[in-house]
Amino acid sequence: MQLFLEQLVNGWALGSLYGLFGIGFGLVFSTLGILNAAHGTYASWAAILGYFSVTQFGAPFPVAIAVGVLGGGIVAVAVDQIAFQPLRAVKAGMLGALITSIAFSIILDSLAGFATEHQSLAFPAGTYPRQMVDLGVIKVPQMQIITILALLVCASGIYFLIQKTRIGAAMRAVGWNETAAALGGVNSRMVILLTALLAGATSGLAGVLGGISTSNVSYALGEGLMLKGFAAVVVGGYDDIRGTAIAGICLGIIEVFVAQYISTSFRDGFTYIFLLAFLVARPRGLLGSVNFTRA
Amino acid sequence: MEKVLDLWAAYGSTVVFAMVNAFFALSTYAVLSVGVLSFATVVFAAIGGFLAAQMVAHFQTPLFVAFPLAAIAGGLAAAVLAAAFLKLESHWMALASLALVLITKVVALNAPLLTGGVNGLIVPAKASPLELAVLLGLATLIFYRLYHSWFGLISLAVREDPAVASTMGIPPRRIQFIAFVISGIVGGVGGAALAFTLQFISPETYFIGIAFSMIAGTVLGGSFHWLGPVVGAVVFTALPTTVQAFVPQIEDVAKGVVLLLIMVFLPRGLIDPRAMRLRKANQKTTPQPVAGKDAVV
Repeated sequence: MQLFLEQLVNGWALGSLYGLFGIGFGLVFSTLGILNAAHGTYASWAAILGYFSVTQFGAPFPVAIAVGVLGGGIVAVAVDQIAFQPLRAVKAGMLGALITSIAFSIILDSLAGFATEHQSLAFPAGTYPRQMVDLGVIKVPQMQIITILALLVCASGIYFLIQKTRIGAAMRAVGWNETAAALGGVNSRMVILLTALLAGATSGLAGVLGGISTSNVSYALGEGLMLKGFAAVVVGGYDDIRGTAIAGICLGIIEVFVAQYISTSFRDGFTYIFLLAFLVARPRGLLGSVNFTRA
Repeated sequence: MEKVLDLWAAYGSTVVFAMVNAFFALSTYAVLSVGVLSFATVVFAAIGGFLAAQMVAHFQTPLFVAFPLAAIAGGLAAAVLAAAFLKLESHWMALASLALVLITKVVALNAPLLTGGVNGLIVPAKASPLELAVLLGLATLIFYRLYHSWFGLISLAVREDPAVASTMGIPPRRIQFIAFVISGIVGGVGGAALAFTLQFISPETYFIGIAFSMIAGTVLGGSFHWLGPVVGAVVFTALPTTVQAFVPQIEDVAKGVVLLLIMVFLPRGLIDPRAMRLRKANQKTTPQPVAGKDAVV
């Protein structure tokens, strides 16, 4: 029973990373209509920036997190302005942006390789909270609690932002039709920047937290998050934050339980079987909405 | 003569891989030209590649039998996928097909009997560059004929606006289904061509790398013209070699920057029929510079 609970928390924490990462990916996809192949590199870069802020400048843990989040957001905004804005101006659609995002993922990945000297770095012990919290039945590492809370706070916060505020209404309007939104008085340029910033920041948060808890700060970090975060987005429904968060948590728990109770070699297999089942049975995802625009 | 042989020794493999990538790009173009963004080409390639490899390894089938078998298998897989996924809205279609690529790798990893699993498969046959060139020429000829046929016109209508197309009596779903099957056939052939080029395939072979190069090839070259994917695939395959010759230290960065620049300045690709028409019309009247004039190769 104790093992079961411990693994449940492990899976939940892992899944929270996938969810956090997926939220940003889904946000960009639904609001800006961009299938962003460079999204994983934001996480890698956030983790690298956080790492350097700790090792070079001795930043405390909360500052390292803040550096990662801000760094992810700034990288995302820069990529958006350099790679996507010129294409938006000529209405090149989803395809052009996909290619420029691939271009940026190549550039940022290889720069990340230079920054880490092609090694996998780990945050030095003692620079992040690593005590165990006693919950009665089981003891849980502090990092896991922080990760789980981070997803809960971010997911509910962004959900509230999108569904209940004027800014969120503007974001949904731009996602539906940018021109119509502009006619309705929405400053779509600002909405686009805000969306990119939010997406980069959540991805960055996932990157820093993931880099700390998996002791792996390298370009491979973003790649791994990308594959699983993408699965979470497809299972959850890309236009709903809640779906992505729930799906991310489920995928993490499934992954850990399969590794624990069935076989470690099926660890990834089950995730994708789950994904396939969803694609066949409920292709628009857990909470995805039905779209009536297509003839 | 010797110089030619030297050149071939240095760049022969680039040419061969450019031809293989051209198959993938054509396969992607087939579905893009009816307005569907799909990464399923990788799936068809995997099916065609592993089938062709196994046929040659176990039954010693000659290449000219293995290629059609791969084509048929790819086409059948495409028909199944199209039946299951074409009902999806276009954004979802892109996501779902990308997810299928990930699933394909996992399936291939866990079916060692068919695919060799993690260890991969050694392919005991090799396609000569000439054979590949003939096959690619044939495929390109078919796409050229399709482009100038009623089907090409109809698919353009479906791509621009399915709703308008259906009011004109065009069944968009059926056109998209046909395009998918064509994509599957070409993708299967491409997968087999890759298997007979590398002579070693594993689940890693048919993965995101192909997805990136096929979509980049198609869009770089221009997804509005039959020649676009071939040109794009050549450019995209030759890019790393060229860049390496100039700036070996930052090869990847330079490759990304070139890709970015091409897309930003030529968002409709290197070969753009609209820009060609504009230029032709312009030459007839007054010789004024036209936006997108550089798009013509």
